[in-house]
Parts: sequence; C-alpha cells; structure tokens
Amino acid sequence: MRIELRGKSFAGRAVLGPIRLTIGRGRRVAVLGPSGIGKSTLLRIVAGLDRDFDGQAEGDDRLAVVFQEPTLLPWRRALDNITIAAGCDAAVGRDLMAQVGLAGREDQFPRQMSLGQQRRLALARAFAARPDILLMDEPFASLDPETATRMIRLAAGLLDRSGAGLFLVTHDAGEPARLEAQVFRLSGHPAVLQRDRD
Amino acid sequence: MPGLLSLTAMLALWFVLALLSDNPRAVPGPGAVWSELVAIAASGELWFHAGMTLFRVLASFVLAMAVGLALGLWMGRSRAADHWLNPGLVIALNLPALVVIVLAYIWIGLNEVAAIVAVALNKIPVVTVMLREGARALRPDLDDMAQAFRMTAPARLRHVVLPQLAPHVAAAARAGISLIWKIVLVVELLGRSNGVGFKIYLLFSSFDVAGVLAWALAFVAVMLAIDLAVLRPWEARANRWRRDAD
Repeated sequence: MRIELRGKSFAGRAVLGPIRLTIGRGRRVAVLGPSGIGKSTLLRIVAGLDRDFDGQAEGDDRLAVVFQEPTLLPWRRALDNITIAAGCDAAVGRDLMAQVGLAGREDQFPRQMSLGQQRRLALARAFAARPDILLMDEPFASLDPETATRMIRLAAGLLDRSGAGLFLVTHDAGEPARLEAQVFRLSGHPAVLQRDRD
Repeated sequence: MPGLLSLTAMLALWFVLALLSDNPRAVPGPGAVWSELVAIAASGELWFHAGMTLFRVLASFVLAMAVGLALGLWMGRSRAADHWLNPGLVIALNLPALVVIVLAYIWIGLNEVAAIVAVALNKIPVVTVMLREGARALRPDLDDMAQAFRMTAPARLRHVVLPQLAPHVAAAARAGISLIWKIVLVVELLGRSNGVGFKIYLLFSSFDVAGVLAWALAFVAVMLAIDLAVLRPWEARANRWRRDAD
C-alpha cells in the first residue's frame, strides 16, 4: 500500500510533515524515533484508524495490528480472542497458539495469563488474520529482555513463514536489525521520515 | 442469616401491631393474610391474575430494555445524537407515569398494547440514561482493535460492546423490573379487567385489607424469585471473566 501524507495536525499543531511510504508483502520497514514524535500517529494512519489527515492512503492489502498493549477481549477465552478478531477457524487459532508457545492455554481468560503471554497471544491473533502487512506499535516495550528476545524471534519466524510485510514502530534501535527491517527515522517539527544511513 | 432474622422481626412487629390496634378489618394480622393467600391460591384466582400481571411485566420489561439499550448506545456513542435527543429524554424522565398511562389509553385504546406500551414508555428513559453512561465509558483501545481487524458490526456488538455494557444492563434490569411491576399495577387498576392491580382495585372498593396484603405479598414473592433465580445468576455469569481462576 502507498501512503502519501502532506501533513497531520492535532488542534492546529502540525505533528507530521510530508511523508511518502510504500509497504507491501515481503517488505519490512521500521520507523525509529523518540517517544512523542508521532510514530504511533503515523501507524494509526497506515492502519486506517485515523482518517483525519491531509493526504492519501491507498491499497487493499490485508492488515493486522499488534498494539502497544495486548488489547485482548478480557471476557473471551484465549482461543476465542483469536478466532473472533481474526475471523479464522479454531484449528488455525490452535496452530498459531502452539507456534507462539501457548498450547494448552486455549481456555484461559486473558487476566489469567502473564503480560508476556498476553503479548504472544496478540501476536498469534495478528498472524491468524493472514495479513499482507503486519503493523506493530512498540510491541516489545515493557517486556524483560529475555521475553522481548523470545517475542522478536517468534515474530521473525512467523514473518518468514507467512511472507507478510512489516511496518514496525519503535524507539529501540536494536529491534529493526533483528527483524531484518529497513530503518527510517522520524524527526523534526513537524516530523518527517529519513532513510537511515546504513 | 441477618436477613432471615430481620424478616422474622418484621413479622413479629406486624403481629404485635395487629394485636394492639385490635381492628382486624383495617390491620389484619399475619394469620388472616396467610389464610386469604391460601384461599386465593386454592381457588386458582392467584395463578390467573398473577400470571397476567407477570406477562405484562415481562413484555414491557423486554420492550423497555431493548429500546433503552439501543437509545443509550446511540446517545453514548454519538455526540450529535446526544445533543438532539437529550431535551426529549429530560422531558420523558420527568413526565409523571400517570400522564403517560392515561394518554396511552386515550390514544391507543383500552387494550393490552396500550398497557404494555405505557409501562415501557415509563421505563425507557431510565434505561437509556443508565446505558448512555456505560456507552460513554467504552474502551477506545478495543474499538481500535475491532476496527483494525475489520470485525463486522454484529461481531463488534456481541463480543466487544455488549460485554462492556453488561454490568450497566444488569443494573438497569434489576432496578427496572421492580419499578415496572409497580407501574403495571397502576395500569391494571386504570384500564384492565384482570391482573393483580385489578384485584387490588376490587378489594379496595370493599375495604378488604387482608386481601390487598395477600395479593401484594404474593407478587412480591414472585418478583423476588425472578431476581434470585434469573437476574442474579445471569449477572454472576456475565462477570465470570473477572475472576482469576475458574
């Protein structure tokens, strides 16, 4: 899909400047920047959650989002959280839960799981939607290093197998390399994207 | 246990008051009311009239909850709807039940539809206000998730919105059912020829206090049974996910 942003502002304050971006299957893009620069705003525009901007977003790729928080339905069991949101059948849901190491926890409610497990469930849910492009918003933040490493390895494996593209937003410069993503930096006021010198 | 003791104490107080007043016609004792209750149950009258009243309670309850839920959800989610409908809601909240009932009988006719609509119209504004509060507090992050995953509208309603509204729906239901049965009695008194309200009207004309109390207590028991057997278990089920372990 192609994003051609001329600008985005909140209450008259320009947050994002002109940004051009093309993402799609097999292409992995990471956007780095300090917090508050507008990374999440950019991701919300790409995800179609924010349509109040100046510019165009076009493309009919299937998208799936891994949010900063797990954003699970607390009143539905783990497996139902996958099948309801992604619209897949139970077998696909079970298979993905097994792939992220949650086999046997299908009938648990989210609050019976640790934060790391909830994050992995959110990751499984995103892949269950069979996305062309996976959007991730700081998905490894506030995890201990060991759990974060495990999550990154899981995400990389699932991306390899499914061939989905990636649009990752993060403040951690170490993550893009581990996911083999091309690095862009978001900076300035209003913020614009710059290709990172490799 | 304290509940049982308190009930026993009230019964004892009633007994003593009836004894002191020494006027069994105006203040009948528990014994007189009980034998009246046994008599109307044995004759079959109780089941017919209580059944008619219960039918009206349930029909207007379902109507009021459905319309109140839809209106509350709409007003809680859409600022424009809230601005446009709020004045009407405030008027409806302050309209006396009696006015609504009389107008419904005049405009719709002295029939069952008018009775049920009149009761529902009295309850809808209250349900709407309670559910509007719930709809305003819906979690935006789950909205984003549902939108990002392109969940269909029925799926969003069933899996994302209604579970969040469940505590508000349960509160509105429990507050509503007791209010509704009180209004149903007035509706029956004014324009129906059966039901508990109609019977109480007849007993009032013959100044039969024991009969009035027998009918009232019988129906209180029915409503308590509904609360204990249906509404409370449903509320507990809707809140199951809040517990840590099953």
